[in-house]
Amino acid sequence: MSTESASAIQKSQVDLVDFVDWSGVECLNQNSSHSLPNALKQGYREDDGLNLESDADEQLLIYIPFTQVVKLYSVVVKGPEEEGPKTVKLFSNKEHMGFSNVNEFPPSDTAILSPDNLKEKPVVLKYVKFQNVRSLTIFIEDNQSGSDITKVQKIALFGTTVETTDMKGLKKIEDH
Amino acid sequence: MVLEATMICIDNSEWMRNGDYSPSRFQAQADAVNLICGAKTQSNPENTVGVLAMAGKGVRVLVTPTSDLGKILACMHGLEIGGEMNLAAGIQVAQLALKHRQNKKQQQRIIVFAGSPIKHDKKTLEMIGRKLKKSNVALDIVDFGEEEDGKAEKLEALLAAVNTNDTSHIVHVPTGPNALSDVLISTPIFTGDGEGGSGFAAAAAAAAAGGVSGFEFGVDPNLDPELALALRVSMEEERARQEAAAKKAAEEGSKQEKGGEQPSSSQDATMTESASVAASEADNKRNDLTDEENALLRQALAMSMDEPASSHELRDTDMSEAAADDPDLALALQLSVQDSTKDSGSQTDMSKLLADQSFVSSILASLPGVDPNDPSVKDLLASMQSQSEPPEKKDEDKPKEEK
Repeated sequence: MSTESASAIQKSQVDLVDFVDWSGVECLNQNSSHSLPNALKQGYREDDGLNLESDADEQLLIYIPFTQVVKLYSVVVKGPEEEGPKTVKLFSNKEHMGFSNVNEFPPSDTAILSPDNLKEKPVVLKYVKFQNVRSLTIFIEDNQSGSDITKVQKIALFGTTVETTDMKGLKKIEDH
Repeated sequence: MVLEATMICIDNSEWMRNGDYSPSRFQAQADAVNLICGAKTQSNPENTVGVLAMAGKGVRVLVTPTSDLGKILACMHGLEIGGEMNLAAGIQVAQLALKHRQNKKQQQRIIVFAGSPIKHDKKTLEMIGRKLKKSNVALDIVDFGEEEDGKAEKLEALLAAVNTNDTSHIVHVPTGPNALSDVLISTPIFTGDGEGGSGFAAAAAAAAAGGVSGFEFGVDPNLDPELALALRVSMEEERARQEAAAKKAAEEGSKQEKGGEQPSSSQDATMTESASVAASEADNKRNDLTDEENALLRQALAMSMDEPASSHELRDTDMSEAAADDPDLALALQLSVQDSTKDSGSQTDMSKLLADQSFVSSILASLPGVDPNDPSVKDLLASMQSQSEPPEKKDEDKPKEEK
């Protein structure tokens, strides 16, 4: 089962970090010195010393828009055993959610992370729900040990892109 | 220049009828609200401000966040005073109003005027603070009016719960002769987190403090923002250049009268420099007054203080006319010009100059009716004048070198 998912990742899935629209990325309740790029960006996320940490309490709300439409296949969330996230809810295409309305919509998928997942075992998602994703909202509801601060070392998203027109490739037809 | 949506929560409870802030607490609040709206829209034209009332019949949003100042000014009219303030509900409604702002890129901020006693306990306030912090909302608190035991404590606790990276502030305004708005102008609530202040705030501060015509360079930032900005930038450049020039001058002419060099460097200046000098003048003048007690000096200082934007040419003609009449006055005027054109930069220069100044002023004081034909006075004048000529040439070279 695990080999299946591992090979599934290798098949045609790419790491979607290249398609993240960084100008619109937001994270609510993050500690300003331990912020989202530590977990999301190439290079930073490989460093286990750099974490995303929550601030006032243990919940985190992360909003990731993409530069084009993608299909999401699986998600890797890496964190420390104790303060790593436990219940993670994913919402597709919901903009600007807040902690107050996060429980009003049913999530596109919910994942309860096991300690294995926290060691980089990918969580396979309900593929049918993530066929047409423009933006992803990740709501981390609680952590493994119930402590006040949730720490996340790495968040990686795997999937494929949908064939969309590359606007930059479009050239104007010359008038004769 | 932060893009921000602000909700102002006004206290219109019965406690606001009190007249300890003139003309009444409510009026003082209204003035402060107007000023804040002006400052916010000035610092970034896309900023929006909304107003809600916390007392009266209940928490009520008077204006949803808008950049239209007219609406905001109008809503304060006919607002009734009465009831009790509900701080918790007020803040929550403000948060909701901000959540539904049109431009989601704006940062969220709530400004609360807490004039009446607070009936919530610390715990409730801290919870509210934490909710605001989670949703990335900044909070500014103006603590004025009723001084109740524990009110300041509760508000400080609320601030501590909300504050991230010093984006939230609290100001305690005690009763006194100063209007509420004047006190607020100098606080970070107006100046926007230490960005250096918008032109509006700086202009308003100048008006409040010195009774000078409201705008920093005699240019209305509303009418001509580019000119105001250009003047401000060139003033800062000139100040930096003057500091560098002054430091060099201090090192070279350490034994001579440093005063001789200062007026000559200022004579090289352009209009913008005279404006910058005028600005630093105002600061220096206040310092010098405490040190020198010479009545002539004070007169001269007052004269030049009244016309901060006047060019140096004017002042020189004043000086020459006066010189014809009274060499004492001429000496004093020259000293005051040296004084005033000193930079706000190096304190060591100042102290040395002061030492010289006090020496010279002590001479003047001890010889009240000094004989113009007195050789020592004549020599002093002559030496100062002769020094002003070669340093002029030196100064022309210096700016070229520095550039």
